[in-house]
Order: sequence, then structure tokens, then C-alpha cells
Amino acid sequence: MSAATPPKPAPPAHKPSLVGSLLSLPANVWSSIFRNPLPGNDVERSATSFTNFFLHIHPVKVHQNTLRPLYTLGLGLMSFFLFIILVVTGILLMFYYVPSTTQAYDRMLDLRGSVAFGTFLRNMHRWGAHGMVAIVFLHMCRVFFTGSYKKPREFNWVIGVLLLLVTLFLSFTGYLLPWDQLAFWAITVGAAIAGYAPVVGKDMQFLLLGDANVGQEALLRFYVLHVAVLPAVLTLLIAIHFWRIRKDGGLSRPAESEVQPEILSAPGADVVVTVKAVQLEPKRTYGLQGLVRGPLIKTGNVPDRSVFSWPNLLVAELFTFILTLSVILVVSLLFDAPLEEPVNVMHPPNPAKAPWYFLGLQEMVSYSAFWGGIGIPTLFVIGLLIAPYLDRAPGGVGKWFARERLLANTTFLTFVVVNVILVIIGTLFRGPNWAFVTPW
Amino acid sequence: MRLALAIGSFLILVVHGLVFYKQFFHAWERHQSAYFDQARGLAKSETERAAVTGRSPRIEQLIVTSFGETRVDRCTTCHISSDDPRFEKYAHPLKTHPYSAAMGDVQKNGKWERRHKFSDFGCTVCHDGQGRGLKPEYSHGEDHYWPDPLLGYVAQHGWRKEFVSKLKGREYMEANCAQCHTEDNFAGTATVQRGRQLFFSTNCYGCHRIEGLSDGTLGPDLTEVGKKFKVDYLWESIADPRANSATSVMPQFKLSEADLKALVIFLKSRKGMNFSETEIQRYRAKLTGGAELIQATIKPVEITASQMLQQGQKLVEDRACMACHKLNARDGGIAPDLSYEGLLKDESWIQEHFANPRSVVSDSIMPTFRFTADEFKAMSAYLASLKTAPALASGADAYKALCQRCHGDKGDGHGEIAIYLDPYPRDLTKAGFMNSKPMERLTHSIQNGVAGTSMPAWGKLLNEAQVKGVLEHVLTTYTKTPRRELKARKVPTANPVAMSPASVTRGEAVFVQRCAGCHGRKADGKGPNSLDILPRPRNLRNSAFVHSVNDERLFDSILYGVQGTAMPPWIDYGLSNNDVGDLVNFIRGINPQSKGNQHARAIEPR
Repeated sequence: MSAATPPKPAPPAHKPSLVGSLLSLPANVWSSIFRNPLPGNDVERSATSFTNFFLHIHPVKVHQNTLRPLYTLGLGLMSFFLFIILVVTGILLMFYYVPSTTQAYDRMLDLRGSVAFGTFLRNMHRWGAHGMVAIVFLHMCRVFFTGSYKKPREFNWVIGVLLLLVTLFLSFTGYLLPWDQLAFWAITVGAAIAGYAPVVGKDMQFLLLGDANVGQEALLRFYVLHVAVLPAVLTLLIAIHFWRIRKDGGLSRPAESEVQPEILSAPGADVVVTVKAVQLEPKRTYGLQGLVRGPLIKTGNVPDRSVFSWPNLLVAELFTFILTLSVILVVSLLFDAPLEEPVNVMHPPNPAKAPWYFLGLQEMVSYSAFWGGIGIPTLFVIGLLIAPYLDRAPGGVGKWFARERLLANTTFLTFVVVNVILVIIGTLFRGPNWAFVTPW
Repeated sequence: MRLALAIGSFLILVVHGLVFYKQFFHAWERHQSAYFDQARGLAKSETERAAVTGRSPRIEQLIVTSFGETRVDRCTTCHISSDDPRFEKYAHPLKTHPYSAAMGDVQKNGKWERRHKFSDFGCTVCHDGQGRGLKPEYSHGEDHYWPDPLLGYVAQHGWRKEFVSKLKGREYMEANCAQCHTEDNFAGTATVQRGRQLFFSTNCYGCHRIEGLSDGTLGPDLTEVGKKFKVDYLWESIADPRANSATSVMPQFKLSEADLKALVIFLKSRKGMNFSETEIQRYRAKLTGGAELIQATIKPVEITASQMLQQGQKLVEDRACMACHKLNARDGGIAPDLSYEGLLKDESWIQEHFANPRSVVSDSIMPTFRFTADEFKAMSAYLASLKTAPALASGADAYKALCQRCHGDKGDGHGEIAIYLDPYPRDLTKAGFMNSKPMERLTHSIQNGVAGTSMPAWGKLLNEAQVKGVLEHVLTTYTKTPRRELKARKVPTANPVAMSPASVTRGEAVFVQRCAGCHGRKADGKGPNSLDILPRPRNLRNSAFVHSVNDERLFDSILYGVQGTAMPPWIDYGLSNNDVGDLVNFIRGINPQSKGNQHARAIEPR
């Protein structure tokens, strides 16, 4: 690759000849696009990150803890890459889709029958969507169990919770679009759950469906929400989410005082000096770094445990991307996305089930419409949103299942396990009339 | 890390390769190439050969707009030579679609010309299947989610094994022929017509509605049944009605396999509006309800006076009465026993009941069938002639022969046909009820029946000693608890409150407040609590029953309750004789015997 480095033409005093310009055209074009050659030293590594539009979202240097695969499990990035895959496949699918009750299902048949790569695109989009719901949820679990929502990252947690909700809603709105029996009755059930909300429930349901039942209006609304409104909201929220990660000083990690003494560069330094750039004086100018909040670790005797983003972070990201993509591709090759009967309003399947991630809700609804469908989920979401403002103890950040956070982690784990069990019961153990059945 | 990256990238490459392979090497391309090869060999002239050589595989499709929704049939992508007569001897998918004079195809100068041109009709109009698919699994409708697999050729996974062989055969396609050819004598739809005849002759129309044909209400509407269900489901629903819904009240008709097939094909042809109908025709048919259609489909029997009994018997036997009723050895297991009808009922009762079953038993589920007046008369005459009393040695025998079918072999009211009867047969094991009624009342119920219910007057069949024997048997075998002396109750023998609009209004107020919870606001016995109660609350709009009981009994039941049921003694809840009098007037008021009835006159607005 080093051959690609531009052969710095010694600027001749005379006018460059046309032939000379033509000969050096490829090199000149290359160097005008990629201003930096592949970096060979630390300065160039920094420059690479700064000067590339796609890379400048990265810090020049990143803390080693961020790169520990077992710390983040790459879940956040996976969610992001799944979103990218979904956007790309979704746009391609949009070329073939018409949000009309008379045409939508036929378009699905065309995608399956005669559109080039139609089945595969649909499979990727479908499994990618299911995967994203699951991975975003797991990402939330990771953040909670490592205590990463604590100060100063409280609000980014809130945005993360919103991202989860928008992801769910995106998946839910997309569920209707094939306009088959599965879609129709899942949305009928889902919208009915929304209708159980007190006071505004019926209005909410009507706003969502545009009608008393799922029909043409609902299909159009879900389509617009799915392809325009929600992706825009999600993109904005992702941007804020990422931006705040940078402004909060990267991913969470254990406080430096907790790291093992042997990697401290200054022997005998028990107390690590942390400097906070909080006392800003109006008349002074500050370096950019000074405005970054949080402990600054790169001063004096503080050990430098950060590494250059190029290539360390980039390889990790590339690996996550390759992993995500190959899993989606293999799954899409092996399993076809379901397409059931065309919608038959008079012939509901028994049982009519919501999408799997709402089956926990449906299971609870089967006990109590209000508490199962609205009460408990609302309390749960509110609980998630205010969790960082209730749990103010500073300890336990950056470690999986930190001992200091036993109570919080146990509480959260209980919710997660209960939810997973309810989803499993709803998915596998419920037969006709929502009676208990065994799947074997 | 680098190794993992390399493996991942390799995996992506492999998957892409597989996907591209799947995308660019289709089965249909092979079929088309084979066709081009063969056609080149068969070509007679150089230009013909050049034309074939110039073709390359592509997706072929027929777009059909004349028959309902736009259809896109890509069947000819594989069946590319279906219209090429030279391929008659080839195997599918290249085989020529057969030509047939019966289908209207004609031979001109030794060349066949199709009546149903593929370019006009496409394929799925006749065959069903999924025109858009390009894989046999999808396009032939083998995928079990597809509602219309190739009619008569393809059976989906999950269809009942024992039915599959019966669901094959080209006659199933008649259901689609009938979408255009609706004439009653069209030769190509003989099975559909037979099915339609059976729909009437086996009395399906009594319970089922098909817009323009019939207006039964007891069973599901079958207007669009062919669109909604596959033949497998239709067959199952007739052959084994309870396979899908355990609570179905549909009888098991004893149909031959050929008849069943004809019915299924007829039902498959019911897809709402067919292609030859117009909206206005449909509306007209809706107005008449199709009454004349039945007589147009099945010719009414010409009844002659001398043959009347035999003709009546034939009608009763042929027209599926025993799909529900019992007559001697044949038992449909749904409706009452007709074996002794001539002893229990007279001819005029039977005729009246035929004309409108609910005028006699107000909650009967028996449909009003559309026989001609003469046919009804013949059937009534036949039923009235069934006067052979059974030989009954003991009370137990009599119970077994006459009572058990409704009251059950344990006497608990859960007899074989009990669930189809409203009101439900009395639970004879409830000592609370049995022992709180005087012997005369029990004997009276057996001897004279209970008006407005399915309990017949057995006194016409049993002599007094036999009635006593049956009652003895019931009390000792089922009720068991010995009877005690009944306490005398203070009950007015006649209603002390005179009938008047004011009294009825007061009665209604009391009724809504105290009684509606069980008896319902309409007094039809279907209040919100009624489902939890057995025996069910009495339907107080059952006029035949209400007229058959005197005021004294009404007062007794209301004031002192009915033991063994959910009816409480209202005297304990503060109802006075006057309140009950108002209630009785209200109940009488909603059951006017006729316009000239004394009560009706008293409450008419002045």
C-alpha cells in the first residue's frame, strides 16, 4: 500500500506539461481525496483521524479499556451496523414496495418470485430488524451491568432508552408492511394493547391506525413512520448518542485509581492526579481539550493507557462490522423471512400473536389488560429513564457486576429475566385461545 | 484478530457467491433453454429457426385484467410451450396444454384453436395457484400459506391425510368454471350444480346464508366461503364438523363421497360476486333472498292425495330431517325424537311448527325450511301417522326410551341432545327442586308436557300407571332424597293488582332493578349473570310457557323462589304482594296472546 503514497513531485519552476499532468493524474486524484498517506508515525495517525470525514468522529487516541472485547462485547457498534444494513436493504426494498392494501402483498410475492435478490434483501432486512431489537436490548443490559450510566453519562443513558423505544417502534411499524396474516393480526393485537391505556388509549390507537381497524390508513401511516419519520429520529438520536460519548470522554471505564499499580509509569505514585477543567475564566482562551469534561488523565505522572485509534480502534470496528454482516448474511441465506396468507380480515389465526418482542406484553395482557399492556411497561420505561438519577452512588463504574452495585444489578437482572421468561412463554408455550401448550 | 477478520471476510464472500448463484441459475432458464433447443430442431423453415435462435431466457408473464383483480401469471415462464401444439407428447413443464372440444376449442384446417385464449384468461383464473411465483413450490401453491393451491392437483402439507386422495381430480376446477358459467344447465359445471342441489336438498340452506341463495342464520355465512377456505377445510367441515370448532352444532350428514365432493366443489365456487354478475343483479337477488331459487333448483314434489303418506315419508327421509332428529333407528343426535310424533302431536301442530318453529317453542334452533305448502302438508301427514306406541314394561324402560335422550342416563339433564335445547332439560337429581314441587305438578309436567319447551305431553303415549312408574323411577333412582311434607305457602290465587299501564310501568321498574341481572333487561333470560347459572333463567318472553302458567304459580315462584335453581325467595328481599302483582302484570304485558287478548287491551295506550 505504501506504493499508493503520492510520489511528491518536486515542484518544477516551469509550467507543468499536459503529459506530465496526465501521468500523475491518478496519484494526484488519490492524494486530493485522501490527504494523508497511510500513517507511518503517530503524527500521521492523528492526522488520519482528523482529516477524514468518516474517521474524525473518532478520538485520536482511545483508552485501552474501550478496546477490551469482553467489556463492551461490541454491542453498541453491532446495533449501529445493523441499522446501516437495515437502511441500505430498506432503501432497496422501497423501490419495489407500494403501501397499498391491494398491492403490498403482490409486491411481496414479486420480491420473492421475480425481483433479483428480492428474497435475500427481504431476509436481510427482516432478520436484521429482529437482530437489532435484540442487540439494542443486550446493549442496554451491558451498559447497566457495567454501571456505565453514571455521572456524567446519565443523559446519554436516557437517549439510549429512547433509542430502544424508537427501535421497537421501527420494528413494529415495519411488521405491518408485508400485509400478510402475520402482519395484520400482530399489528391488530399490538394496537389493541395501546388501546388499553387509560383516557388517551382509544385516541392513541386511532391516531396510530387512522381508522377503527387496521386497514389502508394504518398501512400508509406505518409506512411513512417506518421509512421516513422514525429513521430520521433514530439517526438524530444516534448522532447525539455518539457525540455525547466523545464529550463524556469516551466509554466508561474503571477509575484510574483502581487499576493495578504495576502499569503505573511513575513508581510510588499512590494518588493519581486528576485535573478538572471546570474553572473557566471568561477572558482566557482554552485548548479544545480543556473543554472536554471529566478527569483528564494525560498529565504528568498519570499513566497513559490510551492507544492510537488508527489502527487499533478501526480494526476492532471493522471486525465488529464483518462479524455482524456475516451473521446476517448466513442467517439470511439459511432462513427465509416468513410470508403468510394474504390478509383475511374475517379469519383471524388462533392465537393471534404480536411480534415476539411484544409477546411478553401480550402474555401480561392475558392476565390484566391495563396492568399488563400499559401499567407495568410504562412503569418499567419510567424506571429505566430515571435510573441514573436515582442511583447516584459513584462506585462500580466500568466493571461487570461490580460488587458495590449488587442491589441495582439484581433488580435490573430480575426485570430482564422476568421479561425474557414472559417472551419465551408467549412465543413457545401459548397455543389456541392463549391456552398453555408445550412446543414439543 | 486478523485471522478472524479474514475468516469473516471469506464467509461474506462465500455467501455472496451462493446468493449470486441462486440468483442467476434458475430452473426456469433450463426449461426455456430445453424448449429453444427442441423448437430449433422442430422448426420447418429457416426463418422459424432464426426466430427461435434469437430468443433468450426471460421471465414470461400474462397480465389479465378482465377477471376481477389484475392477475399477473408468470406460469408460462416454465410452461413456455403450453400453447405450442408440437409439444403434446413432452413431459411437464413443456407439455402442451391439452385441447378439448368440451372446453370449446375448435379444429380449423387441422389446427386447434382455443376458446379460452391464454392471453385473455391467463392461467390462475381456471387453475388457481400463485401466478407471480417462479418456483413450483410457490407458484403451484404447495406453500401452505397460499390460499389457492392448484385446484384438484396440489395438496398442501398439513392437509388431513385421509382427505388428500379425495381432494384431487379435475372436477374441482369446475368451481372456477362456475365463476363465469353460472347457467344451471351448463354441461361443464355439472358437479357444481349437483352440489347446489344438495345444498338445498340436504337442507344446508336452513342454517347457512349464501347471498342470493339462502338466508339461514344458525350457521356461518357461506357467501364467500370459497375465497376464504381451501378444499381441505371445506371437506373437513362437512365430514367432521367438530374437528375445527368443538362447539359446532352442525350435524354429521351421512353423505356419500360423491355427494360430499359435489358439495365441496359447490362451496369452493362461492366466492362472493362471480365474474358474470353485476352489482345490480346481486342487489336484486339480495332483495328476494333467493326464495324462488330453491324451487328452481330442486323441483317441488307434486303431491297427490293418494300417495301423500309415502311422499311425505320420502321427503322426511331424503331431505335430511334425520341429520338432526331421531326416527326409529336413525338418529342425528341434535333434535327431538320423531318416532312417536303422531301420538304426541296432531297434524295441525306439526304444520304450524313447520311454518315457524319458534311460534311454538320460542327458543328452538330449528330453521324454517322452504318446502312448498303441499310438501309441508305431506310431511305433516306422514309424521302424524306415526302412532305406534313402544312397549314399555317398567318405569325404568320408559325413562330409557323416552326421557334419557334429553335428561341423560344419570338424570342430570345432560342428555345427548340437551345442549341443543333451550330451555335446558331439567336436572332430575336436584332434590331441592324435585322435592319442593307437589307430586301433582310433576305428574302434570310429564302428562301434559311443558308448553314452549321441548318437553312433550307424554300422557298421550303413557297411561296413568306408566306415568306414575316413570316418576317413581326418577324419584328413587335420580332424586334419591326422600320427599318431605311440603309447607303451606300464603300465595294469592289470583293477581290482586288489576292490569293497567301504570301497573306495568311499576312492574317494569321493579323488574329492571331486581330481575334484569339474570333474566336480562329484555326479560329474555339472557341477563349478564345468566351464563353462570344452570338451569338458565327462564325466558319470560316465551309466550307459550308464560300463558301456560297461572298467576298463582308466578306468585309462588317469585315470592318463595324456585328451590334447586338460582331464583331466590323475593319475599325475603322485601317484595310485597303488590310489587309481585305489578311484576306479573309486566310479564303478562310483554306476552300478549293476540291483539284481542284481555291483557293486551288493558295496556294499549289510550
